[in-house]
Amino acid sequence: FFRALCLCHTVQVKDDDSVDGLKKNQLSRRSCIYISSSPDEVALVEGIQRLGYTYLRLKDNFMEILNQENNRFELLEVLSFDSVRRRMSVIVKSSTGDIFLFCKGADSSIFPRVKEGKIDQIRSRVERNAVEGLRTLCVAYKKLTAEEYSNAQKLLQNAKLALQDREKKLAEVYEKIERDFILLGATAVEDRLQEKAADTIEALQKAGIKVWVLTGDKMETAAATCYACKLFRRNTQILELTTKKIEEQSLHDVLFDLSKTVLRHSGSLTRDTFSGLSTDMQDYGLIIDGAALSLIMKPRQDGSSSNYRELFLEICRNCSAVLCCRMAPLQKAQIVKLIKLSKEHPITLAIGDGANDVSMILEAHVGIGIIGKEGRQAARNSDYAIPKFKHLKKMLLVHGHFYYVRISELVQYFFYKNVCFIFPQFLYQFFCGFSQQTLYDTAYLTLYNISFTSLPILLYGLMEQHVSADTLKREPSLYRDVAKNALLRWRAFIYWTFLGVFDAVVFFFGAYFLFENTIVTSNGQMFGNWTFGTLVFTVLVFTVTLKLALDTHYWTWINHFMIWGSLVFYIIFSLLWGGIIWPFLNYQRMYYVFMQMLSSGPAWLGIILLITVSLLPDVLKKVLCRQLWPTATERIQNASRHCQEHISEFTPLACLKSPRYRSSDCSSSPARRSNSHSKKMMFTHWRGVDYSVLPSVFGYSNKHCRSSAGYHYSGSGLETSV
Amino acid sequence: QIDYTGTDPSSPCNKCLNVSWDSTPPCTCTINFTLEHSFESNVFMYYGLSNFYQNHRRYVKSRDDSQLNGDNSSLLNPSKECEPYRTNEDKPIAPCGAIANSMFNDTLELYRIDNDTRIPITLIKKGIAWWTDKNVKFRNPTGDGNNLTALFQGTTKPVNWPKPVYMLDSEPDNNGFINEDFIVWMRTAALPTFRKLYRLIERKDNLQPTLQAGKYSLEIAYNYPVHSFDGRKRMILSTISWMGGKNPFLGIAYITVGSICFFLGVVLLIIHHKYGNRNTSADIPN
Repeated sequence: FFRALCLCHTVQVKDDDSVDGLKKNQLSRRSCIYISSSPDEVALVEGIQRLGYTYLRLKDNFMEILNQENNRFELLEVLSFDSVRRRMSVIVKSSTGDIFLFCKGADSSIFPRVKEGKIDQIRSRVERNAVEGLRTLCVAYKKLTAEEYSNAQKLLQNAKLALQDREKKLAEVYEKIERDFILLGATAVEDRLQEKAADTIEALQKAGIKVWVLTGDKMETAAATCYACKLFRRNTQILELTTKKIEEQSLHDVLFDLSKTVLRHSGSLTRDTFSGLSTDMQDYGLIIDGAALSLIMKPRQDGSSSNYRELFLEICRNCSAVLCCRMAPLQKAQIVKLIKLSKEHPITLAIGDGANDVSMILEAHVGIGIIGKEGRQAARNSDYAIPKFKHLKKMLLVHGHFYYVRISELVQYFFYKNVCFIFPQFLYQFFCGFSQQTLYDTAYLTLYNISFTSLPILLYGLMEQHVSADTLKREPSLYRDVAKNALLRWRAFIYWTFLGVFDAVVFFFGAYFLFENTIVTSNGQMFGNWTFGTLVFTVLVFTVTLKLALDTHYWTWINHFMIWGSLVFYIIFSLLWGGIIWPFLNYQRMYYVFMQMLSSGPAWLGIILLITVSLLPDVLKKVLCRQLWPTATERIQNASRHCQEHISEFTPLACLKSPRYRSSDCSSSPARRSNSHSKKMMFTHWRGVDYSVLPSVFGYSNKHCRSSAGYHYSGSGLETSV
Repeated sequence: QIDYTGTDPSSPCNKCLNVSWDSTPPCTCTINFTLEHSFESNVFMYYGLSNFYQNHRRYVKSRDDSQLNGDNSSLLNPSKECEPYRTNEDKPIAPCGAIANSMFNDTLELYRIDNDTRIPITLIKKGIAWWTDKNVKFRNPTGDGNNLTALFQGTTKPVNWPKPVYMLDSEPDNNGFINEDFIVWMRTAALPTFRKLYRLIERKDNLQPTLQAGKYSLEIAYNYPVHSFDGRKRMILSTISWMGGKNPFLGIAYITVGSICFFLGVVLLIIHHKYGNRNTSADIPN
């Protein structure tokens, strides 16, 4: 057994003698390090080393083992690992001339090929290991005669040199060679969860992101891991769609049973309230097998496979977490594709750390690779690479949230300011005989988007933090406010466009009525069309910049500099542009226009009035919506504005008993706003020694509830309360 | 404000309605009007035009600012923008362009009727254009001698003008390009209904109003035909304060916006009080 473990691997040895400073392996008395593409193999070889069998090196095709005596085995063939047959073998010749075939692999691929050995004992041991969450492998061997070996060698040679269908031929040869084993034993490797993995998954679920686990492990191992990382909680009802169940009933029946179970409880809930943490009576977790998945995905002649897919997706939509085990890498990509093409077209993100995750990373919308022990394959193929799984939380909840808010505001603001810019020109055509006379001077036309209004929004897009980063990390549910592309929906776009049109109309007609048939100077002289246009333009630049100032939550010195600096730059530019007879210009129409405009009292009054009137609807909307229908983000912003620091949250112990509330106590939930939350929180503000209790930010309001669903506090999240 | 286009057959200027720009002798008409209240302080006299698109794109670009600035090379070679009013019979036009060509050339005179005697009212024609326009932007072509006729040698008058540019006024500092009426006209108006400053009536002394209430008569030398494009002409007398002329818009707008803001302030205060307190009650279940 030990010999098998010592030989059947693809581990390389690195001698440690050129490291400056301490030798890495101080604890072990050997000075060699094992490296391999799979950390499991390294773990096994190191484990065997501690039991006395040390693998020394591979020299000249000879593998050397240090036991009580030095043994040398000639390495004849390596039948390398592949994820389809899930095993690997080596053929070695010992110094006594015996030819052995050692094989190591997943239990599902070894057990069918074993013909003797302590099969039942080992099988039960393997299952017990799996339930504890350990990764299991089985080891077997076979003794080959010289004749058998030469046959095998010839077949292998042919297959390796084949020009067509090499993969298939190799697979066939492997199949022929790896048979009739004698079972040696089983190994178990503990794959520890990364730190804070559970915390991250919980945060993602609270943020409304559905988390699915796709793994190649056995079902028991994977299920144990999921319990450990809090994907399944204690009161999650687990539904199984595994091969075992399908053997008992047909696929059809299983699917229908499951869908009935999940849909029974979710009929009264509106669909888009929760995709993760749900407050309804029961939340479900689904476990599905790789084989079951291939059955579901297999196209049937009678065309009912699409129904199966739809049904499967329906079940998945109502489960809070899904675990897919025994997945081949291509199946992982298949599932991602299935989700991508499902009805709501969600945005998918795949995160993995091994080479078997590469296809899934490539398939998803966003692929993230973890630079870890299993090499850099995943990181190389991904869109983003992070060193640890826990970094995903900050990446999505803080940086992703920030970037989304910034980009959506950037896009909307650009359209808004250009509508404000051009619409007065359009309106002017009605008054100039439709002759395409511009309202503004060409210098203003050119520089508007380049210098007068570009820097503030650029800075906003780089630096805006509508809520502080700490708050975002602490409150993952704030992410729901930007779910489903909320800030770039039609409604938001139409609001911005309406604002732009309203502002443009105010600018133009305000100036029009100011100028129409009146004199606005104190010496009776009259203004021309360029002065008119300059007035409109001045109001325009000030309004759009002040609108951005109203939208900015995070003021730093550089914000102030950019915003007020842009305005000052505009004024200085206008003064300079009109102050000199520029020789290179072939028209002097702007000469002294700006200064003349500023010398007239009504022009000043008009500018102030028009700026105020254009900004009024936006301010009104903001204030009203914040007071009457605040979103969670806005509540946090209000709370944090009142107390800058020292906010800590408590869950009052009283609510841990999960009382059942009737419908009169819950708030109505029209989609995003006024969400009810399952965790009751209280914010307290530490003021020196004493503390005072702040209003509950997420508290239940005493609003009248219209739906007939009953809500109750589920016990979820108890682990994080005080 | 007196409209003197003369479309109405009963108007005294009806006979001048279809006059052309170069008819001699110029058609004159007289309109009598009454001032209800006397006008204190400086009074400004404007002429106003309607339906006249001085802001048409082709019209606005049809000028040569360097020629008007006194550049000698542009004087004899005006820019292409002035087409088709650039040259006339192979001689360059000074000032070129459609804006200059359509200069307003009615003459308005004001008389006070005091018991059958007509007392002319002194109209001042200086100070009606922007100071920077008259002194910096518009300059006569440079050369030796004060004889403007010689300086404008080689150019011809615009097509629709009765007199060439160097004969616009006898005074040398209001002649040529720096004639104030010309400068005022060259500043294109923003809207199709506009008014331009024509003359000033200065305040005599603090005791008497500048224009007493009573009967007045306006004598018009009707040279400028507007009937062909349904335009209208009028004369406006106005006093000016620091805020400009009569302009109800600003006052009404401020009052409206102010009252809306006040109203909204009250409403939002109520809402804030009512709904802001919603969050302050601690909802601790028992």
